[in-house]
Amino acid sequence: MAKCELARRGVPVSLSATTLLHQAYIEIAEREKACFPDQARFMGYAARVMRGLIIDHARNRGAQKRGGRFEITSMGSEVENLADVGELTQLSEALDELANSDAGLSEIVDLKFFCGFTFAEIAAMKGISERTVQRQWEKARIYLHRKISADLEG
Amino acid sequence: MPTLTPERWQQISPFLDEVLEIPEGERVNWLDSFRVQKPELADLLQELLNEHCALQRKHFLEGSPIHDTNQSSLAGQKIGAYTLLSPIGEGGMGSVWLAERSDGRFERRVAIKFLRFSIATAGGAERFRREGRILGQLAHPHIAELIDAGVTLPGEPYLVLEYVEGQHMDEYCDQRKLGVEARIRLFLDVLSAVAQAHANLVVHRDLKPSNVLVRNDVQVKLLDFGIAKLLKGEGNPATATILTQEGGGALTFQFAAPEQVTGGAVTTATDVYALGVMLYLLVTGEHPAGRGQLSPADLVKAIVETETPRALDAVMSPEAKMAAEKRRTTPERLRRLLRGDLYTILGKALKKNPGERYSSVTAFADDLQRFLKHETISARPDSFTYRINRFVRRNRLAIAFSSFALFAIIAGIVGTAVQARTARRQRDFAIDQLARAEGINDLNRFLLSDAAPSGKPFTALDLLTRAEHIVERRKTTDKTSIELLTSIGDQYEQLSENASARRVLAHAYELSRNVNDPSVRSRAACALAVAIAYTADTGRAEALFREGLAELDTDPRFALDRAYCLLRGDNVARERGSFAEAEARVQAAQKFLSQSSVHPESMELDSLIDLAESYRVGNRHIDAISTFQIAWGLLARSGRDDTATAAQLLDLWALTLEGAGRPLDAEPLYRHAIAISRSDQANHGLGAWLLRDYATTLRDLGKFEEAENYAEHAYSRALEQGEVLMADTALLQLFQIHLQSHNLKKAEATMATLTPRIERDFPPDHYIAAILAAQKGLLARAQGNLELALELLDHAVSVLESASRTGNRGSEQLPRILVYRSQVELDLGHNEEARTDAHRALEHFANSLSGAFSCDMGRAYMALGNALEAQGKADEAREAYRSAVEQLENAVGPDHPEARTARQFAGRETR
Repeated sequence: MAKCELARRGVPVSLSATTLLHQAYIEIAEREKACFPDQARFMGYAARVMRGLIIDHARNRGAQKRGGRFEITSMGSEVENLADVGELTQLSEALDELANSDAGLSEIVDLKFFCGFTFAEIAAMKGISERTVQRQWEKARIYLHRKISADLEG
Repeated sequence: MPTLTPERWQQISPFLDEVLEIPEGERVNWLDSFRVQKPELADLLQELLNEHCALQRKHFLEGSPIHDTNQSSLAGQKIGAYTLLSPIGEGGMGSVWLAERSDGRFERRVAIKFLRFSIATAGGAERFRREGRILGQLAHPHIAELIDAGVTLPGEPYLVLEYVEGQHMDEYCDQRKLGVEARIRLFLDVLSAVAQAHANLVVHRDLKPSNVLVRNDVQVKLLDFGIAKLLKGEGNPATATILTQEGGGALTFQFAAPEQVTGGAVTTATDVYALGVMLYLLVTGEHPAGRGQLSPADLVKAIVETETPRALDAVMSPEAKMAAEKRRTTPERLRRLLRGDLYTILGKALKKNPGERYSSVTAFADDLQRFLKHETISARPDSFTYRINRFVRRNRLAIAFSSFALFAIIAGIVGTAVQARTARRQRDFAIDQLARAEGINDLNRFLLSDAAPSGKPFTALDLLTRAEHIVERRKTTDKTSIELLTSIGDQYEQLSENASARRVLAHAYELSRNVNDPSVRSRAACALAVAIAYTADTGRAEALFREGLAELDTDPRFALDRAYCLLRGDNVARERGSFAEAEARVQAAQKFLSQSSVHPESMELDSLIDLAESYRVGNRHIDAISTFQIAWGLLARSGRDDTATAAQLLDLWALTLEGAGRPLDAEPLYRHAIAISRSDQANHGLGAWLLRDYATTLRDLGKFEEAENYAEHAYSRALEQGEVLMADTALLQLFQIHLQSHNLKKAEATMATLTPRIERDFPPDHYIAAILAAQKGLLARAQGNLELALELLDHAVSVLESASRTGNRGSEQLPRILVYRSQVELDLGHNEEARTDAHRALEHFANSLSGAFSCDMGRAYMALGNALEAQGKADEAREAYRSAVEQLENAVGPDHPEARTARQFAGRETR
């Protein structure tokens, strides 16, 4: 009984990035019974699922309180006055577009931004050098910013 | 800003790569020459590069869309009984906080670990808590204690762990410049802890130096035992590779076994491998795959493809010199050391094929000990014998590990069997912890490889049945067979499969007559005694118990065996109605337990439950309730508050509360017990006892429909299991429900079935027979035959009066029946007798309840009030009614019909 009480009175701790990643993992493992040839490819997929989860979360909370637990504190000023859900959705759309021409770049952003992996971790996962990961991320960032800014103007 | 078309992007992308590679200061020159070569792209590239610099200043996308848990704002928050103090660290699996108890009851600092793993479903949370509790049972001086496990509101699981201040093992060894032998000795402590965990069927899965701390007092402490398993998603072992265990953090393969990298089955052999890597590192300062920073790809290749670990290079590198210095030796000696037996030992631990590694951690430890003593080791350098059956067994083991049900049941069988062994080992005065763990391993292997049906789900009962067949087939009557059968019998009893328990225990007893080990003989006899006692053949049960106890002389070596026997003897005494004797036997058992050098918690718990039960049937409700409370505390502390034992304890506890006339307090305990039984995969359904007892409480609370449903279930369940007496009492309950819900027709029909059964199964002076007579009396009253009713109740009262005189069971039933008789006497106009009986009942209740509220007291006050009113004593009557209101409102709630009636009587003007 004490234990149930404990569980009921748990402290509202915010979800951490990796918590969500695990949720993403479970979602994939349970629903899709997917089989991945290697972990890197699995991670790429998981990271996309993760992005979806975060946006869902933001959508659920964003209605009442701006930002909530989700604040893209470091997003550029040009998109700053947008609601968080809007920012994230735009980013997501831009990422999808980037994936069409360069899936690898889009995946790195998913892993870095949405999953919180470091360049070193991503490098280990993909079997490439850390420097390359960083360069690709920088490239992707330019693309995304340009895309979002263009959308805002247009 | 113009949009980048895909074509433009494709064109510019390689140049963007190129320019970003160049240090910032040289980009201007580069761009100048680029403008000459590709004038059409130069402007765009310049623009993008400018944008890049702007974004870098703004830290665009460098943050995270979400805040991490590990924020200092969490400090001061409460998690259960603990207050978070400060973050200790961020591990691969989640953040760790230092915390202290906030209730101030005692000072204890703990580490709280939030696992990065959200449990989406209620089932997941439940599984997490259950497994957490299993891990909580891993008591070993070298395993950091898991104190509690829970889930916060948003579904983030956390663990409360012993707070260990110390250094990582490798750092500790290096800093103190421990020699190779000292390192191996320290490592042996790690092995003993892992062996103990394996004996409990817990695999660590993530052994590495950072999970092994050495405190300043040189105590080794293993962290995170089995936590990797908690993180594993249900099923899908193929994808549950190291990825999920590492929490998606740093994907280090350094200590991963080949099967973890390739997604194979994770077994105890996986830990053996990781231990091999650790030892290699401790001894040489290098990873078996090579020196320095290895890329993940190289590591994976080495892990999966390299058959034997690398011997140390002959090249004298500075690193080799430093490693040797930290071990107070020279590189040459270190290299020589690694060519001999130590290399062979490491080679065997690091075999690619799990089946070729050391079959147990204990075997690994044995070889290391032989190495330290310069004896011949068991591992052979040329041992390449590939044993396919070993492999198959290992895979079966993995299947077994995936089933939670198995944990509980094997732990039960092995647990009691090990107790028996422990008792014997005590006699030899040689309790070698490792040897004991190996003994358990034997049993584990035996049960897991042979008894576990492969690949499909199975219940505890299936497993027990198979285990039983296998033991029976062994055709040898050695001690192990008898011990196993005795344990299996004990387990059947735990599952309330009394008929099966009797069968197995009778066989074990028969076999035990051919061995002359007193421990085995006495345990077999005493275990059978209980099984027989439940059939009401208490004479034979008592004889068996005495016979069992007589096998053991007074030598302190037999302390544990004596406790085992006495804890069965008290059940026998209770069934015989000798409560004082039952209590004395429990207390004697507790005395022997305290004398024994080992203190199995399960036996301590048994003794508490048995003591409470003795109080209960001895009509000492208040003592019983407080003892159950203590037992529950012990159970909860040991993390077993969702086991079959917990359900039984709750049932008995609730039964006591019901007996004390507090159905409102009893009901939630029953519901909890039922919830536990329902969620228990190892269980095959709710026990008839639980269903029947819950029906009683529901009836008392006036919830007749539910009560009827449960009583009917109890009856059919008891019939299914061939439990005659249980079926009788369930039927008796059903009758009372029918009668009290004024369903005379059903009541009559049930009584017609009930009477011949009870007359057949119980002697006429048994309290059950008295209750039957009383219920028949109430039926007669309902049918309007008051004379017959009084006659039957008189009979019931006289049987119970003589029971309480002779100390037989059933005296606690007397006051209730006095209340019934009082009502009939009032109907007949025997007002003085009615008043006397009500008064007597109240005295009885006052004695056994010492002032606690009770619905029985309320009913007795109502009867007293009615009698007094009939005698014209209005003021006294009102006083009695007021007491009835007080009792009933507290015991069954103010909305209960009986409470309402009492209020009416107390409030109206008496005639």
